[in-house]
Amino acid sequence: MARFLITLPIGGDGGRGPRPDFPGFVTDLRRAFGPSDHLAQAGRAAEIAGFGGAFVPFDPEGEESLVVAAGLLRRSRWTRLTAGFHPGVATPVYAAKVTASLQRFSADRLDWWLDVDLDPAVARAQGDFLQGADRYARAEEFLTVAKGVWSEEGYTYEGRFYQVLAGGFTPPLSGHRFPAVHLSGTSPEAYALSARHADVHVFDPDDDIEAAPLPGVAYGVRLPVLARDDESEAWEAARRLWTAGGQAAGTLPDPDPRTRLWHGFPRRAADGPGGRSRSYGPGLVGSFETVAAGIRDYIDRGVGVFFLEATPYIEETYRLGERLLPLLAKERTHVR
Amino acid sequence: MSVDIYWRIGTHGDQPSLRRRTASRGGWAPVVPGSLAPGVRDGERDGYSYVEHMGDVARASEISGFVGGLLPSFPNTDDPWATAATLAGETTTYRFMIAFQPGFLHPVQAARMTASLQRATGGRVVYNVISGGGGPDQLWWGDRVDHDDRYARTSEFLDVLRGVWDGGPFDFDGRFYQVERAGLPPALRGQPFPEIYFSGSSGAAIEAAGRHADYYLSWLEPFHALAEKFERVRAASDRDPRFAVRIDVLARETEEEAWDEIRRGWENIDPSVLRDATGDSIGWQRSRSFVTGRITDHRDLEVTPNVWGGFHLLRGGPAFGLVGSYEQVAQRLDELIGLGVGAFILAGVPHLEEAYRVGERVLPLLRGHDLRIESPLLEGTLS
Repeated sequence: MARFLITLPIGGDGGRGPRPDFPGFVTDLRRAFGPSDHLAQAGRAAEIAGFGGAFVPFDPEGEESLVVAAGLLRRSRWTRLTAGFHPGVATPVYAAKVTASLQRFSADRLDWWLDVDLDPAVARAQGDFLQGADRYARAEEFLTVAKGVWSEEGYTYEGRFYQVLAGGFTPPLSGHRFPAVHLSGTSPEAYALSARHADVHVFDPDDDIEAAPLPGVAYGVRLPVLARDDESEAWEAARRLWTAGGQAAGTLPDPDPRTRLWHGFPRRAADGPGGRSRSYGPGLVGSFETVAAGIRDYIDRGVGVFFLEATPYIEETYRLGERLLPLLAKERTHVR
Repeated sequence: MSVDIYWRIGTHGDQPSLRRRTASRGGWAPVVPGSLAPGVRDGERDGYSYVEHMGDVARASEISGFVGGLLPSFPNTDDPWATAATLAGETTTYRFMIAFQPGFLHPVQAARMTASLQRATGGRVVYNVISGGGGPDQLWWGDRVDHDDRYARTSEFLDVLRGVWDGGPFDFDGRFYQVERAGLPPALRGQPFPEIYFSGSSGAAIEAAGRHADYYLSWLEPFHALAEKFERVRAASDRDPRFAVRIDVLARETEEEAWDEIRRGWENIDPSVLRDATGDSIGWQRSRSFVTGRITDHRDLEVTPNVWGGFHLLRGGPAFGLVGSYEQVAQRLDELIGLGVGAFILAGVPHLEEAYRVGERVLPLLRGHDLRIESPLLEGTLS
């Protein structure tokens, strides 16, 4: 059984380009609006199109995810929001405190995706100089303390990174659902952290999922998709996506015959503040039926949570909700 | 320069009146019949929450003419960042004055949250930077940095926040924070930097305020004491500082009506609440120090005309507030403007109804500091 979430556009413009002026003789009542309005529309689309949730990734080049999630939770009734951030953003007590209020305001619809293993230059630009295994040790303490103050009055903790004395939430801040914890990574440290703390361990599409030693943890995959009525229309759209990124049409990669994954989805990859290198990642391309079959393969391999990503966000969220999700009706679980 | 007048939001619920401390809107006290607690209906969760009421207070403040509101932060309150981000889309002019302690958030994260919130609100974020407080609460938060060092940390925090705001690349190697090639991404740059309201009464606070504050924010104290404090801040500042005062207001048509409301609350005080509060906040200790001698009647706490030092006995929070007729309260506010106050954070219980009352009845009577109102006018009509 599977849950489907849509990834939201936070990279600056709400997933859309600038809005050109109308000619002067055309009545223009458009108010000054901004990226937050596009994000609000994308979040509404997830709710209307029947997704179980929406994912606001940590993106050092984009909007702050908790602020975005708070606004979208307010504008929805059902959608669960998964906010991505790294453990250096705040003390675990404060991260839990902000989250407790958001759970109260949203009827427990916020989840966490903790980015533990940031690119070192990105981490230092965020004020985080921890390296290697220490990052996992800190994340372990972060989640231990956050869960501790969440559920225990008079909570005390003395660790390497954090200390709390007689902490812990009291009613009415206490008693809400702790956010589902999403973690990722394929190193032994990442798996060890997930074994202790993850509700969902999220893989990349071409990871060796079967090799993960995580009994009892739900598996997720972050999966770009491009689905159309038929194969030729889908591949025509893939070609446009490829050339829009500045690549020559003749270099369009073929999908991997074994995994069916196409390694041509533009990936947001920060190479330090102020710069972004273009790289390409794997995802599924094809007719709605083909993409649904690819998703079923993941379900057969034990994946239960799908963070789908498709651009342009608003239009594709509607499209996937109307055409792809019905094909997966049997596999799909409703969150509530 | 015009005077900015804010209203407070009770992020820790709200009493229906000053007459009884026990009841609270929003589930912060046990829900009994008659409790207004959005989120609970007939004993069941109904999908709403206390944020509905906070949104109503924000809109009432906006409608009544306040420029925005202070969102306080304590262990048992809702969080101001969460509240502001939640309510951003349903207000239009309301400025969210977010109270926070710098030690709990990384300054780069604070910059990112602020910039996203500025984009979502059209630049309506204001900071209330808190460094004092302390006592057992500080360890509840997981913070072991001691009182004076917290001001040093606040200074570093604001240095980093300003350093990354315009994009960097910004390097910083401090006692509390280090960053390398930090900066807001292009999409988040160019937003107005929030005004900073800086609280704190200690020497360390005043020194740090002189460097960073747009407004030096104080609780209300008897006016001569405020004037002295302002002088100390002026002496510690390179630039001409602006002052703000956080004031509880109980204003009624007549002075008698106002004091009668206080009397009704006074008669319901539980003697056990008269004990001293803990904490190493100098501001709290200062508030206590003005009330001396034997107290037999609520008017014994009126230390100067209309300045009453017993509000902490009727609701959580600071001791001093203004009690009087609409005209008297407006006159006291005018006097404070005369002392150099350029912004107020007013509050009244219950916050929603009192926002309308103060906005409609008191604010229109303000004349500013250049016009003194003669007291015979008031004596003739009120006594």
